[in-house]
Amino acid sequence: MDFKFTEEQVQFREEVKEFVTTEKEKGIFPFGNNCWMHLSSMEFSKEVAKNGLIGIAWPKEHGGRGMGYVDRVIMLEEMFRAGAPVAYHFMADRQVAPGIIHFGSDFLKKEFLPKIRNAEVCFCLLFSEPDAGSDLANCRTTAVEEGDYYIVNGQKVWTSNGHIADYGWALVKTNLDPAVSRYNAFSEMVIDMKSPGVTVRPLINSAGAHSFNEVYFDNVKVPKEYLVGTKDNGFRQIMTNLDFERAGIERLMQNSLTLDSLKDYVKTNDKGGKPLSQDPLIRDSIAKLEIEFEVGKLFIYYVASLLDKGKIPSYEAAMGKTFCTLYEAKLADVATTLMGLPGLLMPGSPEAPCNGMACEDYLWSPSYTLQGGVVEVLKNIVAQRGLKLGRKKK
Amino acid sequence: MDFNFNEEQQMVYDSTKKFFEKETSGTLLRELMEDDKGYSPEVWKKMAELGWMGLLFKEEYGGFEGSFLDFALILEGMGKSAMPSPFLSTVILTGLIIQDNGSEELKKEYLPKIAEGECISTLAFLGRKGLYSKSELELEAKQVNGGYRISGAASFVPYAHVADNILCAAKTTDSEGVTLFILDGKAAGIETINLHSISGKGVDCLVNFKDVQATPAQIVGEAGKGWEYIEAQWPKVAVALSCECVGGMDRVMEMTLNHVNERIQFGKPLSALQVVQHMCVDMAMKLETSRHTAHYAAWQVNEGLDCTKEAAIAKSWCGEAFKVVTKIGHQLTGGIGFSEEFDLFLYTRNAKKLELLFGDGSFQRAIVADNIGL
Ligand SMILES: Cc1cc2nc3c(=O)[nH]c(=O)nc-3n(C[C@H](O)[C@H](O)[C@H](O)COP(=O)(O)OP(=O)(O)OC[C@H]3O[C@@H](n4cnc5c(N)ncnc54)[C@H](O)[C@@H]3O)c2cc1C
Repeated sequence: MDFKFTEEQVQFREEVKEFVTTEKEKGIFPFGNNCWMHLSSMEFSKEVAKNGLIGIAWPKEHGGRGMGYVDRVIMLEEMFRAGAPVAYHFMADRQVAPGIIHFGSDFLKKEFLPKIRNAEVCFCLLFSEPDAGSDLANCRTTAVEEGDYYIVNGQKVWTSNGHIADYGWALVKTNLDPAVSRYNAFSEMVIDMKSPGVTVRPLINSAGAHSFNEVYFDNVKVPKEYLVGTKDNGFRQIMTNLDFERAGIERLMQNSLTLDSLKDYVKTNDKGGKPLSQDPLIRDSIAKLEIEFEVGKLFIYYVASLLDKGKIPSYEAAMGKTFCTLYEAKLADVATTLMGLPGLLMPGSPEAPCNGMACEDYLWSPSYTLQGGVVEVLKNIVAQRGLKLGRKKK
Repeated sequence: MDFNFNEEQQMVYDSTKKFFEKETSGTLLRELMEDDKGYSPEVWKKMAELGWMGLLFKEEYGGFEGSFLDFALILEGMGKSAMPSPFLSTVILTGLIIQDNGSEELKKEYLPKIAEGECISTLAFLGRKGLYSKSELELEAKQVNGGYRISGAASFVPYAHVADNILCAAKTTDSEGVTLFILDGKAAGIETINLHSISGKGVDCLVNFKDVQATPAQIVGEAGKGWEYIEAQWPKVAVALSCECVGGMDRVMEMTLNHVNERIQFGKPLSALQVVQHMCVDMAMKLETSRHTAHYAAWQVNEGLDCTKEAAIAKSWCGEAFKVVTKIGHQLTGGIGFSEEFDLFLYTRNAKKLELLFGDGSFQRAIVADNIGL
């Protein structure tokens, strides 16, 4: 057992910190909460790319830096601590590129990896459908072969950043034979969002923001080379990918600025002449948040360390994501309550502490335990794969 | 002991429900969140026609001397509909304070107007930190030439920008305590600034007072006793808010159960999953227990019993329960519930607000602790 970061890691963290501080001080990029889902800036992502901070964990032969998962967590910890607007490149860096590296053809690697590394393209994830949320294998969007193309028809929903993405990473049904198992009927493919027949319609979320969308496909032609990996093996590919990508630190820190604003509020406001931070109840509540944050962070590093050792965190990642998103879901609730009525003021309101960050975050909170797999389904995974519950006795 | 409604209560409950079903729509509620008035004058007028504003006032002041239980049921209906209005601030936080403490002249002047729906009023008694504490008051009334000049700021004042009258709580230089003045909402020196809060753009206000003039005749009750007058209404306000929570929970429960019964995943309705069933039961437990505590406290108020503790129990319990129920509602309705097209977010916002209004859980628990000799 050794919890020490290496010299290189300590230095790397400093590098990232310095980069983020410099960019934040420029005052031109939209730093804030929900930065990987909602704060998108191609210009910022280009700066990230210039500093070699996209693709750090990809193998060198694919243009990455061949660094580890722990290194990646270190980098993201520093970016998320500041609320860096990484949404433009985030999905591509985290999910699309590793998917292409694991399963993609040389064509796809050549076509997309350099563009992703240089922050020239934004990807969205086209998985969920109206009738396929937790039950992803119920997807209905079809891709039928026709000459050199697949013809795609159907609808996706809750597509974050669908309105700014150049490409989508889609799960589509390629085997329409009803006799075939649902799990052998899907493929993964890249879809050019500018293709004729793609319509993106905005959806306003319950925090009042336009972040996700509905995406419709009407006879969209997708070149066959855009199919990723093996045809009809898409469901398994996605599930494998998820084990790698599920427990990133974005599941713990997407609203970490809220905790900072809470600490600041209680230190700078008083009640009856005493700072709120001296109130035993307030101290206890915030210390509890701090503890959960630290416990969660350790878990994220644990999962990353497993990956660095070549192990697949088949249930650990699900456990980490469950724990961390439950913390995120609680954070703004506690923050708004402790701030009291000022905590219920929205961004832009006169008198709003920290420009209404806690209140806005409260409105986003219900989404944390839903995105990328709901808590209940993750717990099923932990129970079945981790604890091996519910198996027949021999 | 009888936990059920009697015939009259059932009628009040049903007719309130019907009224709001007719008058409320998702579109209207969404509009009101953006609207800078923050309430619907048309609906307000109809509420007055039903006699709700004067329900708790004496007949001689245009009221009906109705039961507080009926009043509580109306608030439950209001909570269920999520319809915002200056009802509480007008009826309890001005009307009842004047009825219980004001001079005959003030009662005759204000109560009939309120009962007829001709007067919107509000109470300005919080400082900018929004803390429910006498020491945080930021308004001061100086004695000048036999009258008063009020200066300072009050925040989180509901509907001050549309109020005909503002009841303001100010520290007076000539006495120890706090004095209540009833002011014209548009009096010289009053500036209202709309705050954009979780419940919308036209509800809460910051009110700046600059040398606002008042005469001794505008003092409600005795000078220096204002804070006690406000505290005396606390149980009624707490119960009223608790009932709003119960109504809100009831609606969230309905929409969630409806969703999990309708939505098919894995080849069957979500409600067939045991995990989902348990989450629904958690909601149901919150709702049922909240209803009992709120009704019990309302009954105590109605009987004229001292219910400081019971009201605090109700507010602490119902306020937090409503919030938890909206959270479970969100978890069970997934992406759909997180979109603005679905009504749940209206309740999520109300619940968070109601949790904090007139004291959050720990504030109420402190009252309970005081009441059990700790
Ligand atoms: C903010 C946000 C952003 C999103 N971005 C994207 C995106 O970019 N791309 C994309 O493809 N999708 C996206 N999603 C969709 C997300 O992946 C789905 O919301 C999620 O998979 C759940 O699906 P659902 O919403 O249909 O809920 P449902 O599957 O209908 O589930 C609702 C609830 O039922 C219960 N439940 C369901 N199944 C089970 C079970 N087996 N056991 C126990 N309980 C169960 C759970 O409580 C669950 O929360 C996003 C969602 C949100 C909220």
